[in-house]
Amino acid sequence: MNRFAFFPGCLIPARHPAMEFAIRQTLPKLGIEIVDLEGASCCPDPIYFKSKDKLSWLSVAARNLTLAEELGLDIFTNCSGCTATLSEAWHLLQDEELRARVNRRLARIGREYRGTSRVRHIVTLLRDVAGYEAVGESVIRPLEGLKVAIHYGCHLLKPSRIMQVDDPNDPSVMENLVVALGAEPVRHRNWYLCCGKACQSDEIPSNMMRDLLGTVQEQQAEMLCMICPTCFGQFDHGQMKVARQFGEDFHTPPVYYFQLLAFAQGVPYDGLGFERQRFKPECLHRFEGETAPVVASGADDRAAE
Amino acid sequence: MGKAAGDEEQVVRVDFGFRRELAEKVEGNLASFCYQCGACVGDCPAATYGSEFNPREIMLKVLYGLGEELLVPDSVLWQCTNCYNCHERCPQEVKPVEVIISLKNMLADQGIYPDFTAKVIETFEKTGRTTPTGPMVDRQRARYGLPPLGPVPMEEIGKLIEPAPEEGGTA
Repeated sequence: MNRFAFFPGCLIPARHPAMEFAIRQTLPKLGIEIVDLEGASCCPDPIYFKSKDKLSWLSVAARNLTLAEELGLDIFTNCSGCTATLSEAWHLLQDEELRARVNRRLARIGREYRGTSRVRHIVTLLRDVAGYEAVGESVIRPLEGLKVAIHYGCHLLKPSRIMQVDDPNDPSVMENLVVALGAEPVRHRNWYLCCGKACQSDEIPSNMMRDLLGTVQEQQAEMLCMICPTCFGQFDHGQMKVARQFGEDFHTPPVYYFQLLAFAQGVPYDGLGFERQRFKPECLHRFEGETAPVVASGADDRAAE
Repeated sequence: MGKAAGDEEQVVRVDFGFRRELAEKVEGNLASFCYQCGACVGDCPAATYGSEFNPREIMLKVLYGLGEELLVPDSVLWQCTNCYNCHERCPQEVKPVEVIISLKNMLADQGIYPDFTAKVIETFEKTGRTTPTGPMVDRQRARYGLPPLGPVPMEEIGKLIEPAPEEGGTA
């Protein structure tokens, strides 16, 4: 069994528990054991708190990494923002002077950062630990004919020297994961584009999203699949705003990849929280039929205690 | 030789004080390596879809020490999408996005943030998380068999984010 420390971050556990549920359902079926981290804080986020004070941001990130170091495990994240922060911290802390500065802060709470736990984005666990083939074999409801546009998002890929996930100019990991489910990946002209969430302007994110959703619709994609909860929020709530602002109707449901995987593995549509989305992936109803029993995960046991 | 009228206005006086202060921030010194090629602009979504933001211009202002044009309320800096395309493209490894974040750190030192940023930072400093939690959240989690979210050890976080004396703090 491959064991990894799970860093769930803030957004998924608090706002999108169905995504966390889907992760806890799907990873064990692929031979990956989830070890919960006790006492983790926000990564902290690479946009807001980092804007206040980078050294404090780095110190809190280093503290989170020490929690995984104590367990002797690599750490995986389910949010591209958390991956950005923790990977960047790992990268920056290779610099001895900066590491000493951060360790002086960590000494205040009796901790020391050593750099022994690597950071992995959850999609790399599927690719490198489980393998695409095993992902495909876990599917009991192949999503044949489902046209899935992919939104890579920024922090899964960039900066590539730090993230080390995939080629930022020609990535393939998400396409391969969609193919493993039996679905048809659709690459659109704006696959490279940012979701715009971090941009604090009225005009820019709306213009970006309108362009992006327009190209997704041109390709007749039935959903937009992504791997970051921030992008997800932008494409769900934000899509409604843009549709109203420009008087256009896009109807492109965003779907977090692990919910799609859980559905393909047989978790019922109704148990995956899709009803809470503003744009629901109703296209999935045509694949309903066979279902698999929901497995009890470590988290279920703890909830029952 | 007398100077022609108006020459004095053409002189750019580089404010090295501002640049030294910026260089104190983590990776704040990187703009020094910028040779203004503009590779950062072509792939910048904020430059493509907006009319005010241009990372090359921001780096130029840093090189000239024009801090007063950047360190203002409603600064154009907040229009950065944090997409990291400029970091990816820059042949000089300037990491323009990181220089912009260091500039935001200077704004923060003056207590200047947009409202939304201030709100997220406040939530983090109070709870250790950037997304609010509570009984409503735990009820939603229970629907999926997930345990309630426990508190973050704030005594540790509080001590970590206090600046050291040599960093301008009192800890």
